[in-house]
Amino acid sequence: MQSNRLGWLLLAPTLLILAMFGVFPFIYVLFVSFHQWNPFAVNPEMAFNWAANYRRVVFDAQFIASLGVTAAFVFFAVVSELILGYALAQAFMKDFPGKAFFRTIHTLPLIMAPIIVGSVWKLMTTPSIGIIPHLLDNWFGYDLNIGQSAGAAFVLTVIMDIWHWTPLVTLSLIAALVSLPPDPFEQAQIDGAGRWQIFWHITLPMIRPAILATVFIRLMDALRTVDEVLMLTGGGPGSATRYVGVHIFKEVFPRTNYGYGSAISVVVLYVTIVVCWLLYVGLIAPRNKKG
Amino acid sequence: MSRNWLYVLFWIFVSFLTLFPIYWLFVISVKPAVELFSTPDLILRDFYWQNYVDVLNDRTLRSYMVNSLVISTGNAVLCTLLGFMACYALSRFDMGGKESIFFWTITNRMAPPAVFLLPLFLLLTQVYKIGDFSLLDTRIGMILVYCTFNLPFAIWTLRPTIDGIPKELDEAAHVDGASPWRVIWEVVFPLARPGLAVTLILTWVFAWNEYLLAATLTNFNARTLTTGLSEYVTTTGTEWGIMATISVFTLIPALIVFGMVQRHIVAGLTFGAVKG
Amino acid sequence: MDIEPIDVTPEEAPPLPKTGFLPIETNWFDRIFISVVIWVALSLFWLRFIEPLGLSIWICTAISVVLAAIIIRKG
Repeated sequence: MQSNRLGWLLLAPTLLILAMFGVFPFIYVLFVSFHQWNPFAVNPEMAFNWAANYRRVVFDAQFIASLGVTAAFVFFAVVSELILGYALAQAFMKDFPGKAFFRTIHTLPLIMAPIIVGSVWKLMTTPSIGIIPHLLDNWFGYDLNIGQSAGAAFVLTVIMDIWHWTPLVTLSLIAALVSLPPDPFEQAQIDGAGRWQIFWHITLPMIRPAILATVFIRLMDALRTVDEVLMLTGGGPGSATRYVGVHIFKEVFPRTNYGYGSAISVVVLYVTIVVCWLLYVGLIAPRNKKG
Repeated sequence: MSRNWLYVLFWIFVSFLTLFPIYWLFVISVKPAVELFSTPDLILRDFYWQNYVDVLNDRTLRSYMVNSLVISTGNAVLCTLLGFMACYALSRFDMGGKESIFFWTITNRMAPPAVFLLPLFLLLTQVYKIGDFSLLDTRIGMILVYCTFNLPFAIWTLRPTIDGIPKELDEAAHVDGASPWRVIWEVVFPLARPGLAVTLILTWVFAWNEYLLAATLTNFNARTLTTGLSEYVTTTGTEWGIMATISVFTLIPALIVFGMVQRHIVAGLTFGAVKG
Repeated sequence: MDIEPIDVTPEEAPPLPKTGFLPIETNWFDRIFISVVIWVALSLFWLRFIEPLGLSIWICTAISVVLAAIIIRKG
């Protein structure tokens, strides 16, 4: 084998960049979060203040509310995407003309910039410009106004997320379904199992790893949704759609209270890591070991 | 047989739902402002290209476009090259703890970008600067910052490619007297080209699509097209036509790229967690 | 006389996985990680609900350190 020095040399730039822009920011934000630091305050100097920032974070009703709506958003979006994605994947398993073409179309939203998705949906739903409020008004007499109705805005962000990301679920489940061996299904049919039984006892256990992995990826992505929502609702009305990322972008970053902002960032990162780790330990790791 | 046509109809319906919002974007972009507020019309009757002319004539937006191009191209090339070097190192050398390093680089991508807005902003303004030159609001700064999510991605997608190139090839070249450096660039690099191309294209799209970091870490000089888009949404009055047109401009490169690497998109986005 | 040194690569000792009272198999890194996670969660909870009652955050830290010691030893 060649000398390892060359190996480290080749790896060095990568490690340096990731340390500078990935690890060091983390250490730095942790450091700042224990300080009082606001360059535009009466006392602009950085001063150590123990856990005062965190004390403020846990009593920050706005922030805690944003964690709550984020959880609701992630839950509804991921569950709907999973159900829809599975149904679409099953609908794709039959033989019909034009499969490849439809799959191509279905992949399209995945490549779109989140901010463009937000702008597309804003153009679709803004009263008097968008087609959706117009049609809803004509057909059902329902007045959709995401600038005023908190519920409508929330539902719309979920729908937007479904539009954007269901294809990912569909396509990865198609991949899982295609790779299934046909034998167990034939056997089950011979034994006279119903469709529901086949789904519950054969299909589901067999594609479980793929489902869990997809849920994991989708949850992580949904947790950090910012751009689309920022564009569509701007976090409003009120705080109905101010998910944590949006909260940091709109309420925390523009204020120059760096110490407090850092504390919030650390708490969000902490929550993300814990959720991610719990999911991994609880869902993915044990199954991998067995199968 | 007839059931198959039901599936076709069903998928036509799904495709319609997928495509309609994008179609609507285009419709808005080719309508004059005065027509926007009349009754929405599903069918496109005539094309009004003034929005496109306006966007292309706008010097600020033109410079944003150039910035977007420079930043995403620079970032994609940098990430692909560094990712290639890193993967070669991880694949061909017996370095202690290299699997831990590999795993660690990947976790970098999992971090939510919103959390890093403030620390990156502070670091770029306070720490990473030489004299008066700071990385904030510079193209080179954005190229480096985008590495946090694109470099792990490049390493992740390139690893199987590099591992798949037989070691015997570089050993043979080594025996023939080629220097390690030449082995890397003249033997392995050409063989890895297909994988490198996919990585280059996908990292390019991710960098092109990025908004959050660009919006906070640039003021004027290095603003990208995505931030330009958000500048047209204001509380006082949004120029809907212009906004739609910028969206179309931002969408077009992604669409072109989409045609090229369609097969790899899902694997890329799920980060390979789902083998497909 | 030349004896070929036996090729013993001094590999890093892989962290020994073991099962303690925690429901999953863990190595020492996992246990430190779990301790830190619990410490942070407990501190935030303490700041919100217990500190206003007059109990100092240091008590929470002490509890966390003890917990961490137990987890790392026996987890």
